[in-house]
Amino acid sequence: MTLLLGATTIGLILALLALGVYLSFRIFNFPDITADGSITLGASVTATLLVHHWSPWLATVAGFLAGMMAGTTTGVLHTKFKINGLLSGILVMTALYSINLHIMSKSNVPLLNEISLATQIEHMGHAAFHAETDVNLFGWTVGVRDAAMLLGVLLLVAMVGLVLYLFFRTNLGTAMRATGDNPQMIRALGVSVDFILILGLALSNGLIALAGALLAQYQGFADVQMGIGMVVWGLASVIIGEALVGSHRIGLLITGAVMGSVLFRLLVAIALRWGLNPNDLKLITAAFVFVALIAPALLRKLKSAPKPGPA
Amino acid sequence: MLEISGITKTFNARSPNEVRALRGVSLRLETGSFLIIIGTNGSGKSTLLNAVAGTFIADTGSIKLAGKDITRWPEHQRAKLIGRVFQNPFSGTAPNMSIAENLALAARRGRPRGLGWALGHNLRSSLRDRIRALNMGLEDRLDNAIGSLSGGQRQALTLLMASWLKPELLLLDEHTAALDPRSADQVIRLTHQIIHGDKLTTLMVTHSMQQAVHLGDRIVMMHRGQVLYDLHGPERARVRPEDLLNRFEEVRHREQLDPTVAEILRRNYV
Ligand SMILES: Nc1ncnc2c1ncn2[C@@H]1O[C@H](COP(=O)(O)OP(=O)(O)OP(=O)(O)O)[C@@H](O)[C@H]1O
Ligand SMILES: [Mg+2]
Repeated sequence: MTLLLGATTIGLILALLALGVYLSFRIFNFPDITADGSITLGASVTATLLVHHWSPWLATVAGFLAGMMAGTTTGVLHTKFKINGLLSGILVMTALYSINLHIMSKSNVPLLNEISLATQIEHMGHAAFHAETDVNLFGWTVGVRDAAMLLGVLLLVAMVGLVLYLFFRTNLGTAMRATGDNPQMIRALGVSVDFILILGLALSNGLIALAGALLAQYQGFADVQMGIGMVVWGLASVIIGEALVGSHRIGLLITGAVMGSVLFRLLVAIALRWGLNPNDLKLITAAFVFVALIAPALLRKLKSAPKPGPA
Repeated sequence: MLEISGITKTFNARSPNEVRALRGVSLRLETGSFLIIIGTNGSGKSTLLNAVAGTFIADTGSIKLAGKDITRWPEHQRAKLIGRVFQNPFSGTAPNMSIAENLALAARRGRPRGLGWALGHNLRSSLRDRIRALNMGLEDRLDNAIGSLSGGQRQALTLLMASWLKPELLLLDEHTAALDPRSADQVIRLTHQIIHGDKLTTLMVTHSMQQAVHLGDRIVMMHRGQVLYDLHGPERARVRPEDLLNRFEEVRHREQLDPTVAEILRRNYV
């Protein structure tokens, strides 16, 4: 049970990553792989600030803002310097590796006794459940820390999702969606596609860095390697989410990305429990995304292929 | 008023694929006038409209609109002054967004877009009214994705969007060419209604001589990146579709002559 709770919590945290990836890959159709660097950036900035006794909320917001800066850089490289989108992301991601090492001044920052959002949520959990270690949740006995963490993260992610949903219904947010849908049209309606793309990538990487900031606090450390393969992870979540909701409505897609992330994480936890070699995780994730990407076209081909007649 | 002076545009300059798409076009369009542009394929009609809309910056020459020199303005800035309908019905609308959202985007053409609600209550009811006036039964489908509509319905909506905030200039590039005859008629009627109702200054490209003669108050024929004829006043009033077709024949005939002779003729003629 504890295992599933933990997996769900991490799935929820990484739902922010999925939302960021959804924004760049799906709304803008922009293959932004800055994400691998910006999730670590969020983690390293927040962890380092926590070590310097910043308030957890401020440190987390700082992680988010750092991610926005990374996204802005990718956007500027692409729009102002006309560098291929994929390459812009690679450049920023590579640069971030060194930057993250500089921020942390080592490859790993443990959060041992620092006050973080995680410790605060734990405190609130003890207060709320009136329990020291274990609590009864729908008939299961679970650790207070695990239960509180899950609820806290759920609340936070729901809030972020709601804000994102509301944003997409504002004038600026609809213009952003339209930019991905039909750039020619939105330009003819007076919107600078470059500006909106930069803004969108900033928002996307901000969300991804926020995921990193929360993950570092939840697991109790930031590590320079933690971002590797995260784009593909987020993409897998988005694809599962789309399959789950099967709709173009923005609210459902946001919910789908969150559910996709949680489901994916649960599947992984179960697979690992059954003896999957952790080293194969990224290979399997990549293979899954590959299949999901080609499946629709393949299905269409199979359907339209002429039936083999009698020889 | 629109004032185009001596604009040129060469694509792929100094390469084997060099195309001199505009070779010095000058046009003055009074406020409220409706100009029809005709011409053979590849004569530069779309390129002229793109140059005005700012899809690219012209190589030389200048463009003034409503007292402003917009020659070097980027496309999205010119959109403050210009409304536009493309030939392809897919170009003018965002397919995955709803009818209401598309119109809401157009209702802020060229204006700042902040964190206000895109679809306020007032806007929703006023766009329902205007969509009802199209008589296409779309007023009950405001929340459907535009991608699910027919080409004619999409062009009608694009026209509504382009003119929602009265533009200083309306650009129409063969906006009925991709439609079936019935939808084309419907969109042309709407075009007429909107342009006359709002007294919009308009540049419209068409291949239909019927449209050229029955709409608009002036006809320009383009050929090889230049203005070949400019029919206005009494001459325009007398012109019939056959006359325009004859002029096309004339051009075609001239093209078939020995190229050197054609070149000499063109130099004298144009
Ligand atoms: N972006 C571009 N790059 C290269 N060549 C171009 C480009 N746009 C137009 N051209 C060329 O410029 C010339 C004029 O094209 P344009 O589209 O303006 O013609 P048109 O009069 O609109 O023709 P049609 O009636 O077929 O629409 C053509 O030879 C065309 O191939
Ligand atoms: Mg054309």
